[in-house]
Amino acid sequence: MTTATANPAADRSRMKGAALALPALLLLLGFFVAPVLSLLVQSVTEPSFGLQNYRELIATPTYATVFFNTFLVATLVTFFALVLGFPVAWALAVLPPRWAGVIFAVVLLSMWTNLLARTYAWMVLLQTTGVVNKSLMALGIIDTPLALINNLTGVTIGMVYIMLPFIILPMQATLRTIDPATLQAAALCGASRWQAFWRVLLPLALPGIASGGLIVFVMSLGYFVTPALLGGTSNMMLAELIAQLVQSLLRWGMGGAAAFVLLVITLALYAVQVRYLGAGRTAVGG
Amino acid sequence: MSPEGTEEMTDSFLSIKNIRKTYGSVIAVEDVTLDIAKGEFLTFLGPSGSGKSTTLFAIAGFEAPTSGEVILDGQALLDIPSHKRNIGMVFQRYTLFPHLTVGENVAFPLRVRRKSASEIKSKVAEMLELVQLQDMADRLPSQMSGGQQQRVALARALAYDPPVLLMDEPLSALDKKLREEIQTQIRRIHKETGVTILYVTHDQEEALRLSDRIALFNQGRIEQVGTGHDLYFNPATRFVAGFIGNSNFLEVEAQGARDGRAKAVFPDGTQMDGVPLHTDGAGNEGSVLMVRPEAIRLETAASQGAGLPIRIFDTTFLGDAIQVDGRTSWGQTVTVRAPLSAGGAQGAGPGDTVNLQWNAEESHLFSNG
Ligand SMILES: Nc1ncnc2c1ncn2[C@@H]1O[C@H](COP(=O)(O)OP(=O)(O)O)[C@@H](O)[C@H]1O
Ligand SMILES: [Mg+2]
Repeated sequence: MTTATANPAADRSRMKGAALALPALLLLLGFFVAPVLSLLVQSVTEPSFGLQNYRELIATPTYATVFFNTFLVATLVTFFALVLGFPVAWALAVLPPRWAGVIFAVVLLSMWTNLLARTYAWMVLLQTTGVVNKSLMALGIIDTPLALINNLTGVTIGMVYIMLPFIILPMQATLRTIDPATLQAAALCGASRWQAFWRVLLPLALPGIASGGLIVFVMSLGYFVTPALLGGTSNMMLAELIAQLVQSLLRWGMGGAAAFVLLVITLALYAVQVRYLGAGRTAVGG
Repeated sequence: MSPEGTEEMTDSFLSIKNIRKTYGSVIAVEDVTLDIAKGEFLTFLGPSGSGKSTTLFAIAGFEAPTSGEVILDGQALLDIPSHKRNIGMVFQRYTLFPHLTVGENVAFPLRVRRKSASEIKSKVAEMLELVQLQDMADRLPSQMSGGQQQRVALARALAYDPPVLLMDEPLSALDKKLREEIQTQIRRIHKETGVTILYVTHDQEEALRLSDRIALFNQGRIEQVGTGHDLYFNPATRFVAGFIGNSNFLEVEAQGARDGRAKAVFPDGTQMDGVPLHTDGAGNEGSVLMVRPEAIRLETAASQGAGLPIRIFDTTFLGDAIQVDGRTSWGQTVTVRAPLSAGGAQGAGPGDTVNLQWNAEESHLFSNG
């Protein structure tokens, strides 16, 4: 037998919580739910009522390529951001406060600098006559300039850079909770650095890695600016497709359908996080 | 080779030689030298910040000392990384791996040593039985009390049969009753395994209960090494006398020092002959006399005449004894703890004047450093 309402005090506090959340809920309703609903409505009514927009989305190879690109970029960006972000997060967690503060400031500053400015900076760095190519050629490592821009490489580099803070911050929060004495204990138990990393540090850091990774993956799926500026025509991602459908082709129904699919994927991933990684819950205990 | 030399070599299983550790201008450990015999239970006792952990960490390999040497079973230890030292350690904080069960925690050192599954299984069972937690193999550390976690940590540290077990205040977070329970277990485990143990604590009762020998730390140095009995009855320095047990320190002048003894002359002219004299490195003569409260006898001023007169200002009934607090004529307070069965002036009360007597052997003269 279940007794869901066994605790009146808990019920009352829940009701109070709901009342406090009301303004936020109204805000969400006005600025988020309403546009999404109109999107959904358009996707099944424009140009005529039915699921033809979704059918076209699935059936057209160009669109399938866009979906593939989107997932490819999001996966690559998440992977590289994790690999590059982990050491930084680790340094933030274990360095003396003064040094950690400096790194923290650099991370936050880059996050707060205008997105367009940062993306243009990468364009300057990565173009055929840019600093990166010139340096590599001067060092004799390459003879002809590498194609670092208007392709997958450019998009990945630019987006990894932009996503790094979003992976570093949750990861360092998790790493900070790991007592260095636990790793000292692992060492005395005979674990080499490598073994201590794989058997102790990584499992304990997993909640932070998962939540950071998921945030970045989801953000990458819907990213527009960087792919538009650093990517080529063959690397079109979902957000660019939606913009093009709506702005250039005026196909509001198709745009709505694509956006709605993106939203559903995002929510599904969010559900996975809540179910398996849980806000406030860790892989430990329970 | 001299016979003394041979004996010293066989005696010393673990040698700590002139360990020094500084952090910038902070001297954590000034100069520590110590020999530990195989199978010995030796405790680093001392106030917080006296360098006990730093010395232990040098042996564990977490912090390389600024200078000095550590020799374990004839092998220089300091150039070997922590994970190859094969040393066991139980930490002050709880360091079980939170994502592994109790059984997996104990198995961890065996897994990284690539032992066979059957060997791991039997060793884990043996270790959990040793710490009497055989029913808890499948629990997570978060489901156990602090005392249980430290016992698992002990099982994990002993699973690979280390020659030396280091323990850094492992029980400091536990309440008194639980602490005493686990102390008893640690003693039993020491007997059963014969492992050499270096134990750190700031709790003298714990040190006295557990140890074969105690090294008393003060400001990055060892003040004295010896059995609890040695430290209590033959303190080498004023610090030792003050740290272990209760003591009275009385102002005196030491006169006619000869053969390690001197005459103590109190400010009121009272004299006592043949008091053991401890000169410190600088060779200063003693100017403070230490005597334990329970070493003092009370005599009525009339009955014997001799002794140091004090005026009682308080008496406390302690069940088996009576505590008498008095003041000397020059204003120093003295505490006496007299068994009820003793005769003399134990019936005296506040306001009475009594004479204090003790065997010169049971008091010590120190420099008033
Ligand atoms: N990492 C460190 N940096 C600076 N000072 C330290 C460090 N570790 C220990 N100390 C100092 O060294 C002294 C001895 O410390 P420690 O060995 O931990 O003492 P104990 O274990 O006896 O309490 C203390 O004064 C402490 O502040
Ligand atoms: Mg300490």
